[in-house]
Amino acid sequence: MKIKGEKKKRQSVRNSKSEEVEEEQPSITEQNKLKQKQLPSHSDSDSDPDYGSPYVSDSEDFPEDGDFDGSLSDSEAGESGSSGDEGVVNSDVDDGLHNDQENQSNSSESHQGVEESDSSEDEVAPRNTVGDVPLVWYKDEEHIGYDLNGKKIKKRTRKDKVESFLESADDAKNWLKVYDEYNDEEVEVTKKELKLINRLLKGKAPHSDFDPYAPYVDWFKWDDAKHPLSNAPEPKRRFIPSKWESKKVVKLVRAIRMGLIKRDKPKEEQQFYHLWGDDSSSTEKANHLSFIPAPKSKLPGHEESYNPSLEYIPTQEEINSYQLMFEEDRPKFIPRRYTSLRSIPAYDNAVKDVFERCLDLYLCPRVRKKRINIDPESLKPKLPSRRDLKPYPVTCYLEYKGHTDAVVSISIEASGQWLASGSLDGTVRIWEVETGRCLRVWEFEEAVKFVAWNPLREIPIVAVSVGQEVFILNTGLGDEEEQKNIKELLHFETPVAPDDSGDKVSVASWHQDDKHEGIRLRHFKTVSSVEWHRKGDYFSTVMPAGESRAVLIHQLSKKHTQRIPFKLRGLPVSSVFHPTKKIFFISTKKNIRAYDLQKQKLIKKLETGLREVSSISVHPGGDNIIVGSREGKLCWFDMDLSSKPYRILKCHPKDITNVAFHRSYPLFASCSDDCTAYVFHGMVYSDLNQNPLIVPLEILRGHTSSNGRGVMDCKFHPRQPWLFTAGADSVIKLYCH
Amino acid sequence: MDIDGVNEEENSRRVQVRFVTKLKPPMTVPPLPIAIPSNLTRLGLSTLVNNLIQNGNPDWNTQPFDFLIDGELVRMSLDKFLLAKSISAEKILEIEYIKAVAPRKEEEPSLHDDWVSSVDGSDPRFIVTGCYDSLARVWKAAGECTHILEGHSDVIASVGVINRKGVEGITVATASKDRTLRLWKFDTEDSINNPIRIRAFKILRGHTKSVQCVAAQNTGDMVCSGSWDNTIKLWQTNDSQSDGDLVSIKKRKGNDQADESQLEGEAVSTLVGHTQCVSSVVWPQQETIYSASWDHSVRLWDAETGKNSLDIFCTKVLNCLDVGGESSALIAAGGSDPILRIWDPRKPGTSAPVFQFSSHTSWISACKWHDKSWFHLVSSSYDGKVMLWDLRTAWPLAVIESHKDKVLCADWWKGDSIISGGADSKLCVSSGISVL
Repeated sequence: MKIKGEKKKRQSVRNSKSEEVEEEQPSITEQNKLKQKQLPSHSDSDSDPDYGSPYVSDSEDFPEDGDFDGSLSDSEAGESGSSGDEGVVNSDVDDGLHNDQENQSNSSESHQGVEESDSSEDEVAPRNTVGDVPLVWYKDEEHIGYDLNGKKIKKRTRKDKVESFLESADDAKNWLKVYDEYNDEEVEVTKKELKLINRLLKGKAPHSDFDPYAPYVDWFKWDDAKHPLSNAPEPKRRFIPSKWESKKVVKLVRAIRMGLIKRDKPKEEQQFYHLWGDDSSSTEKANHLSFIPAPKSKLPGHEESYNPSLEYIPTQEEINSYQLMFEEDRPKFIPRRYTSLRSIPAYDNAVKDVFERCLDLYLCPRVRKKRINIDPESLKPKLPSRRDLKPYPVTCYLEYKGHTDAVVSISIEASGQWLASGSLDGTVRIWEVETGRCLRVWEFEEAVKFVAWNPLREIPIVAVSVGQEVFILNTGLGDEEEQKNIKELLHFETPVAPDDSGDKVSVASWHQDDKHEGIRLRHFKTVSSVEWHRKGDYFSTVMPAGESRAVLIHQLSKKHTQRIPFKLRGLPVSSVFHPTKKIFFISTKKNIRAYDLQKQKLIKKLETGLREVSSISVHPGGDNIIVGSREGKLCWFDMDLSSKPYRILKCHPKDITNVAFHRSYPLFASCSDDCTAYVFHGMVYSDLNQNPLIVPLEILRGHTSSNGRGVMDCKFHPRQPWLFTAGADSVIKLYCH
Repeated sequence: MDIDGVNEEENSRRVQVRFVTKLKPPMTVPPLPIAIPSNLTRLGLSTLVNNLIQNGNPDWNTQPFDFLIDGELVRMSLDKFLLAKSISAEKILEIEYIKAVAPRKEEEPSLHDDWVSSVDGSDPRFIVTGCYDSLARVWKAAGECTHILEGHSDVIASVGVINRKGVEGITVATASKDRTLRLWKFDTEDSINNPIRIRAFKILRGHTKSVQCVAAQNTGDMVCSGSWDNTIKLWQTNDSQSDGDLVSIKKRKGNDQADESQLEGEAVSTLVGHTQCVSSVVWPQQETIYSASWDHSVRLWDAETGKNSLDIFCTKVLNCLDVGGESSALIAAGGSDPILRIWDPRKPGTSAPVFQFSSHTSWISACKWHDKSWFHLVSSSYDGKVMLWDLRTAWPLAVIESHKDKVLCADWWKGDSIISGGADSKLCVSSGISVL
């Protein structure tokens, strides 16, 4: 029983060997196992160094069985050829029928096996010896590899597609043909192989003689066993699906879904090694410390020879001329001639050079400095084109000449017909905007500090600050009725002293001024600026030296003066009324405070962060403020945003003297002592989410510097996109769009 | 021949040309094609034509000519012109020549006491000027002042001659920054050495701001005025209206300062629409008024109904306006930039100017069409120049630089002179311009 089983196995092994090369490995192992089982004593043959091929081992096995005396070659010669079919057929027939011929059959089988193995070896081995390399390597070659003798195996000539198609169409056996890439040949599938494939496709065992349901041979001897090897019941986990495995699967599925695991990756084309490329990139890629190549020095030329030809030797004149050159420009090496190598003196600068080299090495940076390659254009903010933001003032067409000293302040009447200007020469002039004609001049004893038109068109009066006084002047430009009103307004019987304030020193006193046909308001300190309320009745004056009474608010109709009830911290610079609400801004040198005049309390404090504020202007919408400073910075505050500047524009190299918003166009301007005025586009959106858009538009030049002062004041025309600038060169310029 | 001499000298390409003209016989040349060097400029062509005329007429005095090819004035050398206009030089070129339009004589400037703000030369007999000393003056010729019109209390911004048919004497309207318009009447006949001072016969009150401009209807019955109060007002000019009388008497009683003959008038109607100062008005036809304003628009008004029928928007402030040119329909306007623009309101769907002249370097203060020619107009600018333009070329025909300061006004006079006044208080007359 035992032997029979063994034989069967062997047979099957033989068959498998003869049929399929691929099946070699499992069969070998099987055989070895069998061998070991069968002949545990015969271990020396296993260790034989020539014992590479299983077939040989098989053939060596057989002498054990008894009858082996013929030479291998004989048997091979005799029974090769029809070996494969025989084996299959035999095995079918053999099944235990020829019991008496066991040995015979065994030997014959074994012979067959040897023959088969040899023939199969012949078939498979001789061809390509390149081994397991990607065949792509030979893609562009004429040969497919090398044979055993090391000769190239030529590729067959390629057939073109049409030809091969026609051939395949003609050939009835075409479907049986398979192209063997490795050996570059077409192999026809034999009937036997076909059967095998069919079996495989059906999911059966590849060999027809393999019985998957063979009776179980129990090799273990149960008789003597008193105790079972293990009597433990099967654990439960063998019967339930594995939790961990399912978890793992879920994890994988998830990873695939998330795209973390990618299947079917496209095969990457093999990159050629870039032989001549710049090796800097490869060193950068490397993880280790980067290699910094030493700077390449110039190769020595003929002139550095110890005996250069005469043309390289500088003349004495040239050598002298080197002495006149700068140290750096001077040539480092002056060629000289020596008749022999022996006569070359020692190098003069040897020690110095070594020292310098050491210094260089000592200070050599060890790390390569990596520059970030950023296009400087991309760092610029995306701003709309200036062309789209027209109109804005560009060129100066009109000049208003007549003042004899620096024009300090200008103001434009609300309709835009007239312009008032105050100058250090002590005059206030009224100009006609369209022609540049001076209509009226007032003269004062002191330099004029500030002029301001009343914002109401019906009351063409000008407030002028001169020294400690503020004059309200009647320009006489309105019609009769308006003139009558103005005269009434500017007239009062008794000088009004601020008796209600209770102070000993009067803050400001109202007087009728007959000389200038207006009102004179005498303050106790020098007044620097006057600002009207939009309704034209109130105006505020700022006295920087006035301490607690620095900012006053006057009411023209009642001839009444009052102090602001807030405590100021710091020197006040200027004050502005909110264009729509009852809010009053006072700027000190550092900060700007917004007060609610009705509730009499501080609403907001804006921290400019500037050294000295010089001017302030409120956007007509009322929520944005620009502040100019003495250090040339311009701050834009968005009051809704924060108390810190929304933007700081640093454009003027010198003091900003004034800043101005346009009343209707989205423009603002700053003028400075550097004799320029800058015009900006400052769009404030009604959408609260959108921040104001600031675009610098134009630099207006034209004024000349005088006593270190440039442009002293700038104001926009109330209705046109025009900018007036007053210069220290006593000219007022009008820049038009 | 001289031509041959020229040809020998210039060894360049030649063009076959034929000179044609609409001028009268002494100035004609035989219409034969001749070959001329292609690098001739206007000057060369002019001497050529003069030579040709001299051949036929030995007494001929040379005079400059201007040359038109395909309705365009030649302003560079001939070959460049042909290249620029891509005209073939193979064919016989027809060159029309006209008399060159340029002032030949500069008259002695008429001095004023102050800036000359406005000038009107629509009547060939005299010139009216408005001045910043609030007087208007009438000049018979350059330097000959015949009348002084006094009465305004502020700068006279604009003057306009009213041509009234069937009425003897001359009527002049003045607009002033004292918010009034005044009408004046005088005769040109009396020739006395000293200028006669006359007073206005009618005061037109109603504007609340300075009046900037005045223009008379062509029949002379009405005037319109534009003002800084953004309105255009229409006024009656006749002096014998009863209601006007009544008003004037009432006022006089209150004021008791005006003399007997002064009447007062009120606006017949007001055209509202402009949002800023109306800087210039023109009333070329019975029923249409053109106005230019600082709100960057030119508007066309129906004088009867007071409706605004057309808007032309420019991007600049407009200071001056005139209507003329081809069938009196082109609108020329200048303003707060050095470009003189000309629109054709008949062109539908576009408000782009058809012509733009940009040789000035500052604001344009005045522009006037020649009343006979379709092509010629004059402009004055704050850069101190008066320029004479022809629509057929982009370059000015002539630049008059007689002013030392801003030129505030300019006009044609007698069809052959340009009169201009400026901030140097001078009235300059450049005469001898042969437009037709």
